[in-house]
Amino acid sequence: MTDAHEIALDGVGVVLDGHTILERVTVRLDARRIAVVGANGSGKSTFARLLNGLVAPTTGTVRVHGIDVSREPKRARAEVGFVFTNPDAQLLMPTVAEDVRLSLRGSGLGRAELDARVADTLAAYGLGELADAPVFALSGGQKQLLALASVLVREPRLVVADEPTTLLDLGNARRIGRLLIDELDAQLVVVTHDLELAERCDVALWFHEGLLYEVGEPTAIVDAYRREFA
Amino acid sequence: MIALYVPGRSLLHRAPAGAKLVTMFALALVISLVPHTLPSLAVTAFVVVDLYIVARLPAATLPRQLWLARWIILIMVATQLIFLTPWDALVNTVRVVAIVLLASLLTLTTRSEDLLAALETGMRPLARFGVDPRRVGLTLSLAIAMLPVVAAIARSVRDAERARGVPLGPRLVVPVIVLALRHADDVADALTARGVD
Repeated sequence: MTDAHEIALDGVGVVLDGHTILERVTVRLDARRIAVVGANGSGKSTFARLLNGLVAPTTGTVRVHGIDVSREPKRARAEVGFVFTNPDAQLLMPTVAEDVRLSLRGSGLGRAELDARVADTLAAYGLGELADAPVFALSGGQKQLLALASVLVREPRLVVADEPTTLLDLGNARRIGRLLIDELDAQLVVVTHDLELAERCDVALWFHEGLLYEVGEPTAIVDAYRREFA
Repeated sequence: MIALYVPGRSLLHRAPAGAKLVTMFALALVISLVPHTLPSLAVTAFVVVDLYIVARLPAATLPRQLWLARWIILIMVATQLIFLTPWDALVNTVRVVAIVLLASLLTLTTRSEDLLAALETGMRPLARFGVDPRRVGLTLSLAIAMLPVVAAIARSVRDAERARGVPLGPRLVVPVIVLALRHADDVADALTARGVD
């Protein structure tokens, strides 16, 4: 693959409030589906947040698909969609349709096109019936589906998901997992404690105490990670 | 108090949000400024009830809105009975309740996005004074969306208080505010991540 699918970190370190969160991370990734595993506090969420500029590197550079994230944060955020662990933190509008519509703010589409795009997106995720429902009345699984729909309607070329299934029951976790792994056209970086999900990716990264500890074939990484805690 | 949209096909549902907003303001002004007599109070009540009927909302809607406003009504009646005559207390209470019910009717029959779009249009002349109507609209939507979130935070703090058996009393506000501010941080991150400015 070309530069167009490459995520490249060079000597990246992150220090927040005097604490070193990540250090000396250098990696090039061009796989389609990338899993990130590691214990709580290992720096994996910070790694995810570097990719769309929610966290700025203290040292080093982060390039996503040829875009320097620190230099062109706006372009980076159009390229990278971000799914948070807790959909409540991500859903910002009072009703389902409005939340999807928020993502298309400033897209220059006319009202009719906007309505059609929102309706198509909601139908694609099985949320069509709930268009006018208040967001707070949705179930956890529906909320995460909506969060994903609101991200994907912008057609990002990389989707970064920070533990997207952690708060979901088994059925909903599998559903979101399937959507991300099997049905997504964009490149995917998924931070997860769900090792089954990690194993279905093309490459896995293991973070440990702020260092990128290992990169490799997911089943091998997951096996090693499991042994660590056996 | 934020009545949420109830989908429907009535005349009031189909009327443009801007027109409804202007009519609501006009009615509110008339109700507030007209010196009331017993017949005019009756007419006010009749108009409000009639509008609810025109909106073809579920029968329980109007009583429910009144029930939601019960504390306002109670406090208004109680304080005014201390300082004013019973007649003035009645007039003022009917005025306020009628306006609250009309405002609820507006939100019951209008999608908040349509209402905000109408507000944004209405505020457009203010753009020359440096007001960004789109931003004001977004802020209002965010505020509406955050109300149930803050209510949920307050509920979970109260649950934690009960579960741990530590009575917090009025100090309950502190964790609620801390959690609400933390949520505000998350919202700021989400706005950034979603490319909204």
